[in-house]
Amino acid sequence: MKAIKLILPVVFVVMFSMSCKKNILDISPQDKLAEDAVWSDPKLIEAYHNELYGSQVHGFNVSMAYSKYTDENFNSLACCGGDLFKLNTYTPDNVGQLGATIGDFWATSNGYLYNWNFAYQYMRKINVFLEKMSTTTVNLPNKARMIAEAKFLRAFLYFNLIERYGGVPIVDKVYQMDSQGTFKRNTFEECVTFIAKDVMEALPDLPAKYASNDANYGRATGDACKALLSRTYLYAASPLFSPTKDVQKWQKAADAAEALLNSGYALYPDYQKLFETKQGDAQNEIIYSRGFSATNGHNAPMDHLDRRYGANGGWWGSSGPTANLVDSYDMANGIQPYLPDGTINPLSGYDPQNPWANRDPRLEATVIHDGTVFNTAAAVAGAPPAYEKWVSEDGTTFGFDSYKKTGDNPRTNTVMKKFMPSTGAINSATPQTNQWPFFRLAEIYLNYAEAKFELGDEATAREYVNKVRSRPGVNLPGIPVTVTGEALRQRIYNERRVELVFEGHRFFDVRRWGIATTTENAKIYGFDVIKNVTTGVKTYSKIVLLDKTGTFQAYKSLLPIERNELRRNPQITQTKDWPQ
Amino acid sequence: MTLKSKVMLRAWTVLSKKSVVATSIATVALINISSAYASLPGIENFNTTALLQQQNVTITGTVTDETNQPMAGVSVTVRGTSNGVVTDGNGKYSLTVPNNATLTFALIGYQPQDLPASNGAVINVKLVPVQTNLDEVVVVGYGTQKRETLTGSISRVKGEDLTKNQAVNVTTSLAGRLPGLVVNQRNGVPGSEDLNIVIRGSSTFGNNNPLIVVDGVPRGTGILSTLNPQDIESITVLKDGSAAIYGARAANGVLLVTTKPGARGKTSYNFSYVYGITNPTKIPDMMDAALFSEVVNETYSYLGRAPYKSAAEIQKYRDGSDPILYPNTDWADVSLNRNTPQKRLNFQASGGSDKVRYLLSFGSASQGSNFKNQPYKYNQYNSRVRIDADLSQYLTVGANIAGVFTQRSAANGTDFSTTLQANPTLPAIYPNGLLAGGRFDNSPLLSDRRGYQQWKDDPITTTFTASFKVPHVNGLVLDASYNYDLRNQFQKNFSQPHYWHVYNPNTKNYDRIASTSPIQLTDRYDRWITTLTNVRLSYRTTIGKDHNIAAMVGAEQQRNSNTYASATRRNFLTGALPQISLGGTRPEDYGNAGNASAGAYNSYLGRFNYNYQSKYLLEFAFRSDGSTIFPTYNRYGFFPSASAGWVISEEDFMKPVQFVNTLKLRASYGELGNDQVGQFQFLQTFDFGNNYVFGGSTVPGIFSTVLSNPNIGWEVSKKLDFGLSATLFNRKLDVDITVFNQRRSNILRQRNLSVSAVNGFPKLPEENIGKVNTSGFEVDLTHRNKVGQVSYSVTANVAYAKSKIIFMDEVPPAFAYQANTGMPLGSGLYYKSDGIFNTQAELDSYPHVAAAKLGDVKVLDLNNDGKITGDDRYITNQSPTPLYVFGLNTSLQYKGFDLTLFFQGQADAFVNDAIVDEFGLEDLDNAPVYRATNRWTVNNKEGATMPRANNLLPGGATDFFLYDATFVRLRNAELGYTFSGDLMRKISVKGLRVFVNGTNLLTWAKQIKYRDPELANQSYLNYPPLKIVSFGVNLQF
Repeated sequence: MKAIKLILPVVFVVMFSMSCKKNILDISPQDKLAEDAVWSDPKLIEAYHNELYGSQVHGFNVSMAYSKYTDENFNSLACCGGDLFKLNTYTPDNVGQLGATIGDFWATSNGYLYNWNFAYQYMRKINVFLEKMSTTTVNLPNKARMIAEAKFLRAFLYFNLIERYGGVPIVDKVYQMDSQGTFKRNTFEECVTFIAKDVMEALPDLPAKYASNDANYGRATGDACKALLSRTYLYAASPLFSPTKDVQKWQKAADAAEALLNSGYALYPDYQKLFETKQGDAQNEIIYSRGFSATNGHNAPMDHLDRRYGANGGWWGSSGPTANLVDSYDMANGIQPYLPDGTINPLSGYDPQNPWANRDPRLEATVIHDGTVFNTAAAVAGAPPAYEKWVSEDGTTFGFDSYKKTGDNPRTNTVMKKFMPSTGAINSATPQTNQWPFFRLAEIYLNYAEAKFELGDEATAREYVNKVRSRPGVNLPGIPVTVTGEALRQRIYNERRVELVFEGHRFFDVRRWGIATTTENAKIYGFDVIKNVTTGVKTYSKIVLLDKTGTFQAYKSLLPIERNELRRNPQITQTKDWPQ
Repeated sequence: MTLKSKVMLRAWTVLSKKSVVATSIATVALINISSAYASLPGIENFNTTALLQQQNVTITGTVTDETNQPMAGVSVTVRGTSNGVVTDGNGKYSLTVPNNATLTFALIGYQPQDLPASNGAVINVKLVPVQTNLDEVVVVGYGTQKRETLTGSISRVKGEDLTKNQAVNVTTSLAGRLPGLVVNQRNGVPGSEDLNIVIRGSSTFGNNNPLIVVDGVPRGTGILSTLNPQDIESITVLKDGSAAIYGARAANGVLLVTTKPGARGKTSYNFSYVYGITNPTKIPDMMDAALFSEVVNETYSYLGRAPYKSAAEIQKYRDGSDPILYPNTDWADVSLNRNTPQKRLNFQASGGSDKVRYLLSFGSASQGSNFKNQPYKYNQYNSRVRIDADLSQYLTVGANIAGVFTQRSAANGTDFSTTLQANPTLPAIYPNGLLAGGRFDNSPLLSDRRGYQQWKDDPITTTFTASFKVPHVNGLVLDASYNYDLRNQFQKNFSQPHYWHVYNPNTKNYDRIASTSPIQLTDRYDRWITTLTNVRLSYRTTIGKDHNIAAMVGAEQQRNSNTYASATRRNFLTGALPQISLGGTRPEDYGNAGNASAGAYNSYLGRFNYNYQSKYLLEFAFRSDGSTIFPTYNRYGFFPSASAGWVISEEDFMKPVQFVNTLKLRASYGELGNDQVGQFQFLQTFDFGNNYVFGGSTVPGIFSTVLSNPNIGWEVSKKLDFGLSATLFNRKLDVDITVFNQRRSNILRQRNLSVSAVNGFPKLPEENIGKVNTSGFEVDLTHRNKVGQVSYSVTANVAYAKSKIIFMDEVPPAFAYQANTGMPLGSGLYYKSDGIFNTQAELDSYPHVAAAKLGDVKVLDLNNDGKITGDDRYITNQSPTPLYVFGLNTSLQYKGFDLTLFFQGQADAFVNDAIVDEFGLEDLDNAPVYRATNRWTVNNKEGATMPRANNLLPGGATDFFLYDATFVRLRNAELGYTFSGDLMRKISVKGLRVFVNGTNLLTWAKQIKYRDPELANQSYLNYPPLKIVSFGVNLQF
C-alpha cells in the first residue's frame, strides 16, 4: 500500500510529461496553401491564372450600377455608395467609398466605379504571374497562351483605368513591402501605347476565337484583343481625350474596328434573346464575355425586377428605365418621336398617350411597362398576367405593380427587361447563367461608324449604323441620307445609346463625347399612368423624379483620385481640373 | 497539515458556516481553503470545563483580537434576547445566562461569533476581522497570494457580488465592480450579447480584449459569459506588469476566474430560484405616419420631386379615419413583447470529509423573447462536478468538470432595425386581424412564418489536477494539471416561403400573397478543442525567522484547433421536414463549406517572492512564450516583471499612528506581449476561391488575400505602476490608489495609410509599427460601519485611463489638426459644425460644398481656403473609450433585512451617432422623433436645432452628432430578508432568504437620451440591454 502511494505521484508526473510534445509549435496552415506549393504545381498555377480573370468586372455584380448613374435608369431609393454618382456629388474625399466599404480601404469586393485599388491589386497579381512564368521550370502545356491571356487582362484593366481617370501610372513589375515604388501618372497617350503593346504581344499566342460551345469560350482571344483595341482607340480619339481633334486618332480607331468587320461574326437575330444567351449557346455576335454557371451564377433579376417576382426589393429593385431613355427610341418607321427642341415630331406618329405603340422593337425588348406580359410563370401568386402600373385618379386604387403598392416598384413605372430571364424561375436561390457581353459585333459596327463619321466618311458611317438598325427582328429603316453633319452625329450617338443600353457604355460615352454637361444636368423623368376607373382609360404623363440641374461640371468627366491616395503618393497629381 | 492546523481548520469551518447563516450569503465560506498559501484564522481555545447547571450559569471570559490584544466594547448577548453586556477595557466580560443559551460576540469590523453557553463557564474568544481587502487571499497567475504581501495592481470581485446581477450573461455583472475594468454591452440579444471588455481603456490599435483565464485555462468570453454565477468563487484582474506570468497574451490585462471548490464538512445544500420580468431599457420613440410623411415630403421637395403623400393623405394618417389604407403603425408597439419572463434555478451540494471534498452544481436559465412570436430565445443549463481528494498525505488530485448546454434561437430577419426603421405608413395588422407584409415583406410579426435560426452550443471544460508535496522536503510541491475543453456547436438556419395579406382596394378583398423564396436549409457543425498541460514546481521556506522565500517554475503547452463543415440545400419540396437530405436535387440546390485551423503555445514560466518580516516585499516573474503565430526564428518572446512593496505600517515608527491599521506602498514594472493577430502572416499563403467560368463550367481559382510579413513579432507593453493600500480608522476605511503608465510599442498594425495603392498589394500584413502610451489612475474606497442596528458598507471605485498615439502609420496630414498622432485611440475625423444654414445670405457668404442647401449643417472652413474639402476635417481628441469609469456599491443590513444598491457609469466617452444623423432619406427608413423635433424646414428656420430632412454630409461626418456618452446607471438594486430563529432551526434550515432585485432600473444619460447610452458607438437600432425586475428565494439546508 505504501508502495502504491509512492508510485502514484511518479505515474502522474510521467503521464503529464508524456502529454507534452517537443514539436507542438510545428503546425502548418490547415486552410491555406503556402506559396512554394503554388508555383511548383501546374494545377495550382492554372488555378492562379484562372483567378486573374476576376479582374474582369461585369455589370451584374453591382446591379448594373453604371446604368443607375446615368440617364438610363432611375433608382427611386438611395443606393450604392450614398448616391454619389446619381447626384454627381463625388469628390476626392468621398469617391473612395465606392471602391471599398467605408473604413475598409483595401476591400476588393467592389472596385466597380472607383476601381483604383481593385485594378492595381489585379495588376500586381498579373505582374507576379508574368514574372513567375519568365523563370518557371514547371512544364505547362499552355504556357504561351496563358501569358498572352494575362497580357490581355492587363491591357483591359488599363483601359478600365484610363476611361475613368485619364492617364494613370503604368506598373509592369512587382513591388514588395521593402521595395515599394513611387508612382506618377503616365500620360493618357503612354497608357494607350502600353495597352496596344500588351495586346499586340498577346495576339500571336491566342486563337482568333473559340466556338461558342467550346470549353475555352470566355478566355481571351485574338478577336477580344482587337475589340479592346478598337474601343481603346475610339476613346483615345474622342473629344474628352483628344481636344485637338487629331484626325490620325480617328483613323486608328477606324482601322482597329475595321480589322474585326469581316471576322465571321454576325448580328444575332433576336435582340432580346441575345442577352439571355449563356456561354455554350449558339450565337455569333458576342466576341468576348464573362460566363456564369449553375454553381457560379449571378442574381441580377433579383436586383432588378420588382415585387411581382418577389425580388429583393428596396434599394436595387426600385431601379427603372427612365422616360428620358424611352423617348430616345425611334418609331418603328425610323423617325425620332421628338424633335431636337424637345417637342413631339408630328411626322413620327408618336402618341404620348400610348408611348409604347409603333416603336423601335428594341424598346419592347428592353423595357417592361404597363400592359407588358413577361415571364408570368415566375411571378408571385395573384399577379395578373400583364403588368398593371396604373393608379386611379383619386390615388386610392392602383394596379398590382404600381409604385403605390410598394416603394420597391420603380417610380418610373417601368422595369428593366434586357438581361432579365423571360422563362424559368426567378428567385434568390436560382442562379442566373446568362453571360455578360464585354464586346459584341454591334459595338464594333458603331465604333466603326463613329470613327468613319469623324473622318468625314458619312456614307460608311450611315451604312454601319444602318446595319445595326436592320438587325433581323429589329428591321428599322435606315437613317436617311438627308441626315448629315451634326444631326448625323447625334443619330450615331443615339443609336449607341439605344443599342448598347445597360451594358455599361453610357456612363463613359456621355463623358468622352463631352455631352455629360447636358445629360448630367438634365431632369430625370418617369411616367405617371393615371386610370379613370369608370371608363378604364389610362392617361400618360411624365413626372420629374430628379432634377440634376447644376450638379455636373465638365471636370467631373474624369474621376478624381481619392485624397488619401494623393497624400500617400505626392507624385500622383489629381485628375485634371478637379479642385486642388 | 499538522494536527493543530486540522483542528483549527475544523473550527474555522464551523464558524464560517455560522456566519453564512448570519449573513445568508452562500459564498462567504472559506476562500481557497485548499490553497497551500491560505492563512487560517481561528479562535484561541475552548475552555471545555463542563458546568452542567440546569438553570442559569454565569459565563466569564476575555475577548481578544487576532494579535491577542484584549478588545473593549465587544457586545456579548444572548442570542434572540436583549440580554447582554459589553467587554471592559481589558476585554473582560461577565454575564449570567440560561444554560442552553447561545452567546453572540459582535463588534463592527469583526466577524460575529456564536458559541453555546454549555461550552463552559469561561469562554475566551478571539474575534477575527471581517475580510477586508488586505486580508483576502487573492488568486494570481499560477497560485494565490495574501493581499497584504501583494505587490501587483490586482483587483478582485467575489462571486457573491456577481449573483446580485440578474442578467443571464454573467459578464454583464462585471461592469463597475472592478476598478479599471470597462465592460460595455453593445446589444441585448438573448444569448449573444456583444460585450466589450477592456482593462484600463484602449491601449492598442488592434485587439484590446484581455486574456480571460477560467480555472487556469485561457477560455475566452464565450465560457465566461455562460458560467453559472453561483459557481464563481472570485474573479481577479491583473492590470499591471505582474501579468507578465501570462506573457505573450497579457498585455491587455488578464481576468482570472476561479470556480468554487467543495467545502469540508457535512453536506450543505443551496437552492435558489429567481423569476424575472424583462423589458428593453429604452426603445427610441419613432415618428408616426403623419410626421414621417411630412418629413419625406420635405425630402422630395428638396429633390424637386412631387410630394410623397398629399396633405389629405397625411390628415388620414393623423386622424386614423381609414386604418386599412392609411394606417399609423407603431412597429415597436405591435412587434415587441412587454414583460418577458426570465427564469433562473440553481442547486448546489457541497461537502466532504477530510480526505475528499466535492461540489455538485446544477443551474438553468431561460430567457424569453422581447419580440412577439418568440423569435429570440435562450436556454442555458449548467452543470459542474468538482472533486478534490487527498490520496495520501503527499498527493492530492482533483477534477473539475463543467458542461454548459445552450440553445439559442433567433428570427430570420427580425431585429430592432427592421422593427424601428419600418415605414409607419404601412399596415402591420389589418382591422380584421390579418397580417400585412410590412417593409420589404419583412414584418417582425411574420417571423414565425419565415423560418428560424438555431444554435446548440455545448462547451465542456475539464480540468484534472494533481499536487504532490515532496516528502522530506518541507515546502516543495509539484503541481500538474491537464485540461481538455471540447466545444461542439450545431447550427441550423431554415427559411421557408411565407405569406401575408394585402388589401386590394380594387376588389375590396384581402389578397393572400406568398413569397417566392425557396425553402432553404443550412446545417453547420463546428468543433473546437483546446488542450493545456501544465507542470509547476514550487518551494516555500523561511530562512531564519524573517526571510520568507517562495519560488515557482513551470512549463505549459497549449494547443487549439477548430474545424467546421456546413451543408446547404435549397428548393425542398416541403417545409415540413427541415432535414438536409431532403432538399432539391439540381446541382445548384447543393452547397457546402468547411475549414480548419490550429495553433499552439509552448511556454516556460517562473516566479520568485521574497519578503523580510512581511515588511519588505519583492517579486520577480517571467514567462517565455513560443507561439505558432510567429515565424520560427522569431517564435519565442521573453516577458519579465519585477515588483516591490513596503508595508510601512509594520515599521516601529508607525506604531503610534493609531488610525492607520495597515499601510503599504508598492511598485511594479513588467513587459508583456500581445499576439492577437492573424496566424501565418509570415508566410505568403493562398486561399481557394474567386472561381471563374469558361465555356459555362466553373474552374477553380486561388489567390492571396494578405501580403506576408516575414518579420512579424510580438506587440510589447511596458507597464509601470505605483500603488498605495491602506486600512484606516479601526478598519472602517480601506483605501487603494494606483497610478500607472503604459508604453505599448511594436503594435501590430497595417501600414495601409502610407503605402500607395498603386503598388497593388493585397491586404497588408500587420507589422510591429505602432506606439501608444496610456496612463491613468484607479481609486478604490471601502467604508463599513454600524450605526445602531444598521450595518452598512460603501464601496466606491473610479478609474481614469487616457491613451495617446505616439506613432501610427498615417497619411502625412496636410494640416496639423488632422494628425492622429498625439490623440487618443479611436478619435474620429470630423467636420467642425457651426450651426445650421438658415438664410440664403448665410449660405452665400459661407464656404460650403456644392450641393449644400439651406437647413444643412454649416461647417467651418478650417484651412481658410474658401472651400469646404476633406482638408477641413479635424481629428477630435474625444474618444469613444470612456476616460472615467466608476462604480458605487452600497449595502445596508438591518435585522433580517439587507439592501444593496449598485451604481455604475462612465464619463468622457464620445460617440458619433451616424445613424440618428440619417433622416428622411429616400430609402424611407423611419427615424426617431428626437431627430425630427425642431428640425430645419422652410417654415422653421431661425429656431431650428436639427438639420433638414435628407441633410447633406459635406463629405464625411460632422461633429454635430458627436455626443457625450456619459451615463450613470442603477445597475443593481436588491432588497432581501433573511428568516432566522427557532422555526428555521427546527426545520433544519440553515438559511432562508427572499429578495426582490432590479437590474438596470434607472439610467441617467448626459446627452444620449433617445436611446440606451451604453449602446455607445453602435446605433439605436441594436437590441438594447434589458431592464429586469426579479423575485427570488435562496434556501440553504
